[in-house]
Amino acid sequence: MLKTTDVTGGYGSVQILNGVSLAVERGKIVALLGGNGTGKSTMLKALSGLIKPWSGEILFDGERIDGMRPDLIVRRGLVQVTQGKEAYPGMTVEENLLLGAHIRTGRAVRARALERSYAYFPILKERRKQLTGTLSGGQLQMLCVARGLMSEPKMMLLDEPSAALAPQVVLDIFRAVARICRDGMTLLLVEQNVRMALLLADYGYVIKDGVIHLEGPAETLISDEAVRLSYLGGTVADRDRKLSM
Amino acid sequence: MSYFIDLVIVGLSLGMVYGLVAIGISLIYSGLDVVHFAHGEIYMLGAFIGLWVFNTFGLPFPLVLLASMIITGLIGVVIERVFYRPILKSGGGYTVAGMAMVICGFGMAFVLQNIAFLIWGPRSLPFPVTFGMPIEIGNLTLPSSYVWIVAAALVLMSALHLFLKKTRLGLAVRAVAGNKDIAYLMGINVPLTISVTFGVACALGAAAGVLVGPINYVHVLMGLGILIKAFAAAVIGGFGSLPGAVLGGLLVGVVESLGAGYLSGNYKDIYAFILLIVVLMIRPAGLFGILAKVKA
Repeated sequence: MLKTTDVTGGYGSVQILNGVSLAVERGKIVALLGGNGTGKSTMLKALSGLIKPWSGEILFDGERIDGMRPDLIVRRGLVQVTQGKEAYPGMTVEENLLLGAHIRTGRAVRARALERSYAYFPILKERRKQLTGTLSGGQLQMLCVARGLMSEPKMMLLDEPSAALAPQVVLDIFRAVARICRDGMTLLLVEQNVRMALLLADYGYVIKDGVIHLEGPAETLISDEAVRLSYLGGTVADRDRKLSM
Repeated sequence: MSYFIDLVIVGLSLGMVYGLVAIGISLIYSGLDVVHFAHGEIYMLGAFIGLWVFNTFGLPFPLVLLASMIITGLIGVVIERVFYRPILKSGGGYTVAGMAMVICGFGMAFVLQNIAFLIWGPRSLPFPVTFGMPIEIGNLTLPSSYVWIVAAALVLMSALHLFLKKTRLGLAVRAVAGNKDIAYLMGINVPLTISVTFGVACALGAAAGVLVGPINYVHVLMGLGILIKAFAAAVIGGFGSLPGAVLGGLLVGVVESLGAGYLSGNYKDIYAFILLIVVLMIRPAGLFGILAKVKA
């Protein structure tokens, strides 16, 4: 469904991506793993169109989308779920959700999308008239996942859903995400939290210095201690240690 | 007492006009991250276009207002697309491109003034609309032109409020004002939405010009004063806040009118700025400027 070949890119004259090739099959959950400053956020921006790749190719559903304007990529069914902190704080929960359905017109279609999102995250329905700025971190992340669903995409890119959240909350969110994927969503999960991500994913890529260093089925990667130690840096290891306590 | 009430009413109706222009400045600031210094000329252009529609087609005043808003709004979209967008491509706010945009705005103001001068000449032109008899409420007599201004401005502000709160496009305008990258990820066509924002802001400026036309004359240089007043109104209300812009406009209008009535009409233009200084001393972010957003 999504396939990238030798994607390079960066900001200004600073090159971050040194040729990233990865593939996500329809209906699968694929994790893109890496610590801070490894290029995973830049890769995400290239996929969603916020930056133009310098070279290489991004194919989505058989169509080249590299360098395409972000809103047109959304219209093709590839949606990036932002981190929780990137919900609009001054809008109500429902307004944020409806924003996600921007490309869908028609009252009935939008109402149906809203119900679908509320079905995955009932807490959001309770809070729908509340200002988004008053939500907790976990609820914000749920809101962003729900907002991503609103345009009824074919595939979602999930940007670090575990960032700055308590492990219990992360588990709740991952359970909901797993449910969404069982209902037929394809997912690229971009994560620092290796252990959590590999619990959910079918396949994993480890990115470092802007290239894919290692890839494999999740079961293989999870048992591979080398992954954590050599590629994912101290901070992740620390957090995992805390998790196991 | 009735003198006081008269002054307040005059101030409120003038304030509504300042408010409409200030809303436009605030909308553009939140959407494009720049202060639009040619907005006074948009107001002037709106008044002239309204006058032209009125004299050529003899339409009733509400239609004149609407026609001028649409035409000026479209002119605004063209100005934004052709002149401002290439500059803003590389950023707004406090960047070099932001500075270039401020200067481009000043330049645009002179260009529009001179275009109006070439078309309509240097004379003050009357806008001979008749609003009918003054309206009497109790022992109070209200000139109907002022009632018209307040009513029309209230209708336009409510319409804007509904547009921003209830419609899909309005939500997109707010999203783009909040964060352009996130707006893109929602599937919003950001450049188009910015054009819409600019067009709406210009239409509101034009409405203010058409509303003032009948109580003042229409003149090529009428945009100079209003820009500074509306700017003061926007800052007093909290820059970027739309309710703040309206409140700021009303405050400026009333203070100016009371000052002119009780102190001296010669210093009419100073009172707005005294108010501005006082408000900024007490609340540096303006009255509604709680979420002061740093633009960069």
